[in-house]
Amino acid sequence: MNIKKDIVIRIRAMFLFMLLLAVGIIWKIFFLQTIEGNKWREKAKMSYVEERTIEAVRGNIFADDGSLLATSLPKYKLGFDPLVSRRNKKNEKVYDDGIDSLCHLLANFYRDKTAEEYYAQIDLAKRRKVTYIVLNNDLITYQDVKKMRKWPVFRAGKYKGGVVFEKVNVRYNPFEKMGVRTIGYKKDKEKVGIENAFDVELSGTSGKGVFEKIVGGSWRPVEGGEKSIPVQGLDVHSTLNVNIQDVAETSLMNALRKYRADKGCVIVMEVATGEIKAMTNLSKVGRDTSYYSETYNHAVLNRTDPGSVFKLPSMIALMEEGGLENTELVNTGDGTIKIGTLTTEDSKKGGHGMIPAQEVFEVSSNVGIMRLMQKYFGDAKQKKYYEYLKKFHLNEPLKFQLKPDVSPVINEPKAGDKTAMYWNSIGYGELITPLQMLTFYNAVANNGKWIQPIIVKSTKIADEVIQDFHIGQTVYPDPICSEKTLEKVRKMLEGVVEHGTAKNINNPMYKIAGKTGTSQKLINGKYREGMYYTSFMGFFPAESPKYSIAVVIDNPRGVKLEALYASDACAPVFKEIADKIYANDIQMHKLLIKEEGSKLNFAKQKVTAHSSDIKAFNDEMSIDKTPQTEGWTAVKQDSQNSFNYEIRYNKKNRVPDTRGMSLRDAIYVLENKGLKVRFKGIGKVTSQSISPGANFTSGRTIELILQ
Amino acid sequence: MKREEQISRNLDWVTVLIYILCVVAGWLNIYAAIYNPEHPIWIFDDGFFDTNSGKQLIWIGTTVLLIIAILVIDHRFYDTFAFPIYGFFLFMLLAVLVVGTEVKGSHSWFRIGSFQLQPAEFSKMATCLALAKYLSTPLTNLSRFKDQLNVAIIIAIPPILILASNETGVALVFASFLILLYREGLPGMYPAIFLAVVTLFILSLIFEEWQIYIGLAVVSALVVWAMPRYERKTKNILAILGVAFCMGLFVTGVDWAINNVLKEHQRNRIRVLVDPDFDRKKTGYNVRQAKIAIGSGGLLGKGYLQGTQTKFDFVPEQSTDFIFCTVGEEFGFVGSLTVVGLFIGLMLRLIYLADRQKSRFARVYGYGVVSIIFFHFLVNIGMTIGLMPVIGIPLPFFSYGGSSLWSFSILLFIFLKLDAHRSQMLSRW
Repeated sequence: MNIKKDIVIRIRAMFLFMLLLAVGIIWKIFFLQTIEGNKWREKAKMSYVEERTIEAVRGNIFADDGSLLATSLPKYKLGFDPLVSRRNKKNEKVYDDGIDSLCHLLANFYRDKTAEEYYAQIDLAKRRKVTYIVLNNDLITYQDVKKMRKWPVFRAGKYKGGVVFEKVNVRYNPFEKMGVRTIGYKKDKEKVGIENAFDVELSGTSGKGVFEKIVGGSWRPVEGGEKSIPVQGLDVHSTLNVNIQDVAETSLMNALRKYRADKGCVIVMEVATGEIKAMTNLSKVGRDTSYYSETYNHAVLNRTDPGSVFKLPSMIALMEEGGLENTELVNTGDGTIKIGTLTTEDSKKGGHGMIPAQEVFEVSSNVGIMRLMQKYFGDAKQKKYYEYLKKFHLNEPLKFQLKPDVSPVINEPKAGDKTAMYWNSIGYGELITPLQMLTFYNAVANNGKWIQPIIVKSTKIADEVIQDFHIGQTVYPDPICSEKTLEKVRKMLEGVVEHGTAKNINNPMYKIAGKTGTSQKLINGKYREGMYYTSFMGFFPAESPKYSIAVVIDNPRGVKLEALYASDACAPVFKEIADKIYANDIQMHKLLIKEEGSKLNFAKQKVTAHSSDIKAFNDEMSIDKTPQTEGWTAVKQDSQNSFNYEIRYNKKNRVPDTRGMSLRDAIYVLENKGLKVRFKGIGKVTSQSISPGANFTSGRTIELILQ
Repeated sequence: MKREEQISRNLDWVTVLIYILCVVAGWLNIYAAIYNPEHPIWIFDDGFFDTNSGKQLIWIGTTVLLIIAILVIDHRFYDTFAFPIYGFFLFMLLAVLVVGTEVKGSHSWFRIGSFQLQPAEFSKMATCLALAKYLSTPLTNLSRFKDQLNVAIIIAIPPILILASNETGVALVFASFLILLYREGLPGMYPAIFLAVVTLFILSLIFEEWQIYIGLAVVSALVVWAMPRYERKTKNILAILGVAFCMGLFVTGVDWAINNVLKEHQRNRIRVLVDPDFDRKKTGYNVRQAKIAIGSGGLLGKGYLQGTQTKFDFVPEQSTDFIFCTVGEEFGFVGSLTVVGLFIGLMLRLIYLADRQKSRFARVYGYGVVSIIFFHFLVNIGMTIGLMPVIGIPLPFFSYGGSSLWSFSILLFIFLKLDAHRSQMLSRW
């Protein structure tokens, strides 16, 4: 083969080889870009357009009067991109010029680190080429953000200064720590209270939307790209009353501090409705502090021996079973009783001797109760006693709205156990929560009608009720006991306050009915002397109960043994709360007024007011006759002291008649017409300088005389 | 001056034009690759020269100076000093192992102030010169074993040193000299074996071992069957069977090598070629993102600075090794074809120029230039479209990077200088 031919072959082979590969490349590019083009375009779109969830706004929690207990607020976390300053000279100058004063401002604002420390933090991140650091984990408000945007470096913005305000939605409780465990929260894995129990309702439904990636790694929603719009969470309207909750917390806190107790709780329940008006739980934080906080919902979760407060169901059982009368004499002897192998003592050394049943209850005599149990139930009819407890619904779980729901434990003793019933009758051996016990007391207050406690009235969207929890609330139509028994036992409960263990809270304003309870604490299966679980349960006003209240204080450290008794620790808390409710509740005063038989002379003066105001006033004062008119109405009183209403029509372009109105109403009416108002005196309008019905020009001054 | 007039007259302006087009297009794409629509930065803005596109502009400026220098230096210099230049860069490759800086896991950079240079890039040019020098020595004959061995040594030393500095990609480029050697008379057996090895290597990745054994058996049986009767002698049949057997052994060896010699990330990079869905998050990520960027460009592209994948920095290393993604996404198939066309045009022109050389030195060198550019072109574009494994080598004249631009410009313009003096070179035959 000659060399020339060989070279030509080689060049051709080389050519062919290179050509083939080049064609392969062109083909593959063509294939990718045109034949597979759509597929890759779709993929490209997916990488910068993404379907993401749109978080729904969490619903609010309201108090019974509509005050906000919990809501969601946007807050911000301060972040910084130190590398922005390295991007170009202009940014670097912004950084160099401002960083020192910025660090001072940061140090002054957060007050947790010095300016030097802030500088060190930023500088280190910058040198390590970290693209994002959180300057401070504290959440700041939008007002703070606005302020910080004026700071050096920050004022250059995100792309030139490097400041990043990361938005975080936080739950905000306007009353801060108040009722924190009851209102609840969601923190990491810990979910408690109403926030937890109504999480599904509050959360709403998150939506889905198309988002587009924007430079810097954040996403913005594409307009019209919502696949499903997020549905805002429902508002939860609780039964809690801000004022009652507040006083309950303060009183309990003071008592716990005074007695250096371990923990305590207070529940306030509205008798007729079962609505929980306040629920507070405080536990000591740390060993020897006087600092308490809400860490556990004892009221709902803490099952213990109820102690002497359980003597109430026992007493009712005795009355129902054997027709026990308050006057029946019981021999409490020297204050000890031996049943089987068990010896029980009364707290009073030497005993009370022969006393009526009423006094047995008033002084909370263990011996007395046991003697009565012996007499009416004995060993033979033990089963009957437990049937009564069942009838009282004491062994039923409450199915309360807050989770979890714990069941009470009241076990009928095994055959042959002769002592257990006696223990049970004075409140030992059962496991029952304060709320369960209070629900029973509430039934007694509610004329025997057992009603399930609720803490959430309804869920709403704006004003539209979605679910009303009074519907479906368990109310047993059959009373727990006869009317006669109720009458007797309520007399006993009143007696406890009038001359018994809780006479320290007796007061002339309103009557309290209740029972103290002190039980030795069961620790490691043994009742410990010197460690007590004290409580007071009752209701007020005793004649026509409106609220039932439970107060529990665990392990108060008293001065003397007697001081440890419930009367000293718990009952005053009850009274403080009752006082406050009483002071704020006009309807309770009305009850007193009614009792005094006095008649009010509201309409001595002629009054003109808006019909809605008159209606509201009449509702408050229980005046039956309400106006049929709509608008400004004159109220007149006839000779029989009943009211007549007459509508005041105000003609267009005529001076209105304001006589009889309050100044507020008169100014409203007149200024709406364009008149300027001057006035003298206080009270109601008696005369006006331009007579009613006269023509006037807008801007004229009218003078009112009030008396 | 007389000499300069000569140069401007004799310089191959077609090549120079293609070169300028490539560099300008390259710079525009680098600008697009680092372009941030929220914070655009232009030449007159502060900080522009801190960005890759700004720095590249500096590199382009200095390259112009280098080119002038190359054209001014006497053409005989390259011939005469071919070996010293080769020796100098070998020394640099050794030196970088001692005083070099590590960048992204490869210990192959010299740092001078804020600029970095990679001697490995320049060693390609030096080796090319040395090869040309050796082959242009009278009486060298590539069919002779002694010459084959010497050439092999010249080619092998730089990549070994480069491998030591952990720069596998650049080392592989030296395989491209096979094209040049074949052109210069190396027996066809060598490239054939090389191609067979590569093919088998790829096949053994795609198929199971036993499938390849069966395939080999079937193919050899077919070959025997297809043989003309007179050729079907025992000796020939045995030879074919022998070859098939060797291939089988090789496949076994490859399997062993893949599992024991290659590092895991290298294995994965090859596997991604076969199975595009493999390891999407890591190894497969680059290729996948590159394919998305290029594929979504379509026929006409999304428009300059409009590429979404480019803007959002989905493709890593987009201004350097993956610069072709910007072309593909923003200029579509039309743009891609133009770039590929520029390279093919350049290579064809260079082959034409090489073949018209009267001195063997210049011709060999010219083919060397073609071989190197071809390898870079094939592997770089190939990896962005999923045809080749990811090997970190730049696209000549396009990719960001001073070492790359300088070395390719020097490589190219030495040849253009030699070409300009082709009539004078004859005297040195």
